Amino acid sequence: MRRKTSLALLALAVFFAALSPLLRWYAFPRLAKIPAGQYQDMVLEAKDATLLDYGTMKAEKVPKVTVVQTLKGNVEASERIERTAGRDVVVWDGLSYVQGPDGKMVSKIPERYIFDAHTQEPVHATGEMVDGDPVKREGIEFKWPFLTEKRDYEYFDAQARVTAPIHYEGTQDFRGVEVYYFEQTIPWTKVPFPKTMPVAGITPESVARTGTTRWYTTVRKFWVEPLTGAPVYGEEIHKEELRGGTLLGGREKVTAFAGHVKMREDYIEHTVDLVKSNRTLVLLMTSYLPWGFLVLGLLLLALSLYLEARGRRGAGPAPADTSKPEPVTA
Amino acid sequence: MRALIAAATGLAVALVLVFTITAMGTPSGGTSPKPLLTTVPAHP
Repeated sequence: MRRKTSLALLALAVFFAALSPLLRWYAFPRLAKIPAGQYQDMVLEAKDATLLDYGTMKAEKVPKVTVVQTLKGNVEASERIERTAGRDVVVWDGLSYVQGPDGKMVSKIPERYIFDAHTQEPVHATGEMVDGDPVKREGIEFKWPFLTEKRDYEYFDAQARVTAPIHYEGTQDFRGVEVYYFEQTIPWTKVPFPKTMPVAGITPESVARTGTTRWYTTVRKFWVEPLTGAPVYGEEIHKEELRGGTLLGGREKVTAFAGHVKMREDYIEHTVDLVKSNRTLVLLMTSYLPWGFLVLGLLLLALSLYLEARGRRGAGPAPADTSKPEPVTA
Repeated sequence: MRALIAAATGLAVALVLVFTITAMGTPSGGTSPKPLLTTVPAHP
């Protein structure tokens, strides 16, 4: 009976010891992925910003400009692309909607971002675009890969349609969560006018005919939780100018927008809570379960060996008979 | 010999379990009916 128990314990010990690395290095990279149907929104605000009044073509100080950013996973599109790409793909249809202090639209830029669900590497397929313009992204956008490393990444800038490094600048504590801080600077770059302009009757083509061009610079800051790769907070010091042409009435340039864009407080709290809960799931797969299974496997192995040793000792040869011989009588 | 068979059984069950779970994968769900927002939401 004891022998059978020790064999069963040995089988269990090997089971748990094998499960430990399999879970960490085989199952986790295959199971950790962005769900194809994910929907998320984000509100960012720039207080005391500068905004161009297209009626007077003068820059004005305004109390607040609000950016509403929505990302919506398009499951049908991702399944269609997966058939040819041969890997798990996520298609995010996004909209950056900017609203002035009077509630009117300032700009509206749609985009489609296609990427590998596990690694966040961009996947190139028909439909990848920013504001209707086909693009070919290199690098990441919006989210970092699972198990983010302390290194620079390539990050796609949707305004300039360019990929540039986003630098790892150190590890920080953000509201009780250990985060990696990343920063990217896009120098003054000529960028296209949005397809949807804030004033009816003005189109990018009609502005282009005046010879006026649009320029943009930004300092982009992200605080990223490294296990999930999810930014828990973001800021942008964003400036836009219109330069040259007849539209500016002889002026060399005019500010179209200048502001320090930050996540709204309720969205920060919501994001931190969400990331904390997802972080626990990743830790379960990468640390808690693998280490727990390994320790359990070793304990079961030790118990199995102990029972086996005791069993063998109990089943050993019978001790020699030391009783005195009977006296022999003739 | 019996110890070897027990160890092999444990290993095989672990492999089958992990391969099955990863082959099943995670459900992708459907596209959300919610729209891309053009108004400022009151809360997350």
